[in-house]
Amino acid sequence: MASSRFATFMRGYGRLTIFMIPIGIAINFVGGQIALLLKLPVYLDSIGTILVGATCGGLPGALVGLISNGINSITSPPTFAFAILNVAFGLLAGYFGRIGVFRTWWKTLLSVLPFAFIGGFCGALITIWVFDGLAVGGGAIVVGALTAMGMDLNTANFAAQLPMDVLDKVPTVLIVYAIIKGIPKRLLVKLPLGRVYLGQPNPRAKKPVATTATQP
Amino acid sequence: MTNNAVAAVADRYRQPMTLGNAVLDIHPIAMVAGITALIVVGLASAGWIVPLAVSALFVGIAYLAGRGPSYLVTILKLWIAVGLILFALRALLVKGETVLVPLGPIAITREGIENGLRFTTAVMVICGGVTLFFAIVSMRRLMLALERIGVSPRVSYVILASFQAITDLGATARVVLDAQKARGIETEGNVFVRARAFFPVLAPVFLTAMTATEERAIALDARAFNNPGRHTSLLNLKPLTAVDTVLVVLSLVVAAAAVTGGILGWF
Amino acid sequence: MVLAALTGVGFTYAYAEQPALVGIDLQLEEGRLHGVVGLNSSGKTTLCSLIRGVIPHFHHGDLTGEVVILGRPLLDWDPAELSRTIGCVFDNPFTQISGIRETVFEEIAIGLENLGVPRDEMIERVESVVEQLGIEAIVEKNPNELSGGQRQKVAFASIIAMDAPVVVIDEPTSQLDPEASEAVFEIIEGLKHRGKSIVLAEHKIDLLAQYADTITVMNEGTVVMHGPTRDVVGSDEFGAYGVVPPEVTELGRRLAAAGKPLDRLPIKRAEAFDEISVRIGRSTHAH
Ligand SMILES: Nc1ncnc2c1ncn2[C@@H]1O[C@H](COP(=O)(O)OP(=O)(O)OP(=O)(O)O)[C@@H](O)[C@H]1O
Ligand SMILES: [Mg+2]
Repeated sequence: MASSRFATFMRGYGRLTIFMIPIGIAINFVGGQIALLLKLPVYLDSIGTILVGATCGGLPGALVGLISNGINSITSPPTFAFAILNVAFGLLAGYFGRIGVFRTWWKTLLSVLPFAFIGGFCGALITIWVFDGLAVGGGAIVVGALTAMGMDLNTANFAAQLPMDVLDKVPTVLIVYAIIKGIPKRLLVKLPLGRVYLGQPNPRAKKPVATTATQP
Repeated sequence: MTNNAVAAVADRYRQPMTLGNAVLDIHPIAMVAGITALIVVGLASAGWIVPLAVSALFVGIAYLAGRGPSYLVTILKLWIAVGLILFALRALLVKGETVLVPLGPIAITREGIENGLRFTTAVMVICGGVTLFFAIVSMRRLMLALERIGVSPRVSYVILASFQAITDLGATARVVLDAQKARGIETEGNVFVRARAFFPVLAPVFLTAMTATEERAIALDARAFNNPGRHTSLLNLKPLTAVDTVLVVLSLVVAAAAVTGGILGWF
Repeated sequence: MVLAALTGVGFTYAYAEQPALVGIDLQLEEGRLHGVVGLNSSGKTTLCSLIRGVIPHFHHGDLTGEVVILGRPLLDWDPAELSRTIGCVFDNPFTQISGIRETVFEEIAIGLENLGVPRDEMIERVESVVEQLGIEAIVEKNPNELSGGQRQKVAFASIIAMDAPVVVIDEPTSQLDPEASEAVFEIIEGLKHRGKSIVLAEHKIDLLAQYADTITVMNEGTVVMHGPTRDVVGSDEFGAYGVVPPEVTELGRRLAAAGKPLDRLPIKRAEAFDEISVRIGRSTHAH
């Protein structure tokens, strides 16, 4: 059954992961809300996805993205069409986390490009496929204006969304970097990708025999 | 409160859960079936009248469930924020033969309006159904129903805890933001000033929430969260009643008929 | 049987610079109330975690020596079985609430749900702990909106509802006023009378002196004193580790220093009351 496979997966991913996912989701929401409150011209609503991806792995990150969009869809169903983007952010953050991208600030900054590519380029593609290029959201008016000025509809979508996503992902990955820097070691040791950030291999890596194997 | 009052509360948990309204008491799974069938009817139609009628029906159901006003607010907001823009963009940008209103380089055409109406009502019927479902079925009830059919309590945990975490973290973030303001850290002013307020507010709040997962994990483990055996539940969700079953069957029939009708071009 | 037998136990948290426990030899009997005291960071919580199995199953690190819980080596326990056998309440009330239940009644039932207890029995058990803890007034409140003290009581109720034979409690009264603390201690004593074994880390020494059967004093990760409450609390050495003796013991010492010692050094309020009544009785007699 799917659910039991899910349960096995959650266990395999370490026991803290299941508690980190709701926090990641809340971080997505609160980041977005505060950005609105401070009237910042960026969404900042994928910090949690990337953070959980970077510290717990791609699948937990993807789940954070999926559920965040799912919850948003309760009041704004069209959001769900874009869930795949948030899922992709999580998976990519997991991969980047694993190869140590978030350990150095400049690599972290470089990761903006692929994230913005997913958000901007793939986001535009979804708009074009699902909504025939006429979706709603921050960029819709811009897209409308660009087309009115004679730009091709598809081009207008890319032109509107890519820069917006770059602008959004720079502070997003920076805050993820800052948070990871601040995670205490005692927590990092319990996160699936924590060893990446702990640097040297754990001098006391001796795991008790029963740790992972027997936890039902 | 006296012991009697506690006994009354306890007694309520012994009885099957009821929200005191026939619509609200429909089993979540029957509700999924019913609303999905109605959405299918709306989408199967080639025109815009049927989806619009289904959308109106959703409002009616919300009123029957006693959730009318709040549902109406949600759905009207969606119509304005999503529906209107979807319609306007299409009406303006979809090219057509029959020009109704020429507007310089672009023109409002009959085709554009028809396309806009069709597309907008289709999107809105989905929006209406989804928002109706969540207006009527609480997340807790939905999760309870899903656990009944074998979904892991861990899945429930993740979903339900997310909502609580959003509330808690949002409240903390606002408290910290206000404290920053009180300490004279600027949260107004130009974009860079405001952006600089974002980091110090959020990074520590997020970190604390992450660190607290450690103790949460221990607390939940102490509540036998990792117990492999069968879990029971305090809330007594009625199993599918006869009415629910009829609703499910009816939904299947209606959905099948609508799809067939849509293919054959009945409506 | 022995609740916990520790022989030469040391523990260092993964990546920690200092060991949290060093060379601990300790034996705790079943069916008793064991108090653990010590300054901040002396290792009380770490000791509780170890007995509860949170170390090493959850907090990884370097564990040396031998830990035997209820006759079975700690590492041989299945973690799920261990958490069913040993209930635990930790001190921060804000993390001791599940966050997924809408009323206090449901919150207290959550452990029973996970144990698969049938509904009718579950309701009875929740009703009974609600009454024991005197939290009738909040059963319908949202647990996520309670004050720290109320949460602490609810968390405590959730655990005692599960009826585990052993309960490890880390500062259950940190957010409670004196009366509520005393009430919690009375409940803990009630648990003991029902045959439970309890390990209780606590700063409120007056209450511990009153209720605990044994006291363990920790200092910088080692057990510096352990024994029956009277022997430990009444000993001159007790104050040497930064722990303040009970008020009445202080009083007894001051009287002794002033050349008017009581017949017996009191550690409980009732004893002090008795001794002093006797003294007053004698002096009124002398008149
Ligand atoms: N999960 C953990 N990971 C790493 N180090 C820890 C952890 N918990 C405690 N420590 C460290 O272990 C030492 C003992 O701490 P412990 O919490 O056991 O003391 P305590 O007596 O309970 O203190 P308090 O009275 O403040 O609760 C401290 O130096 C502390 O920093
Ligand atoms: Mg402690």
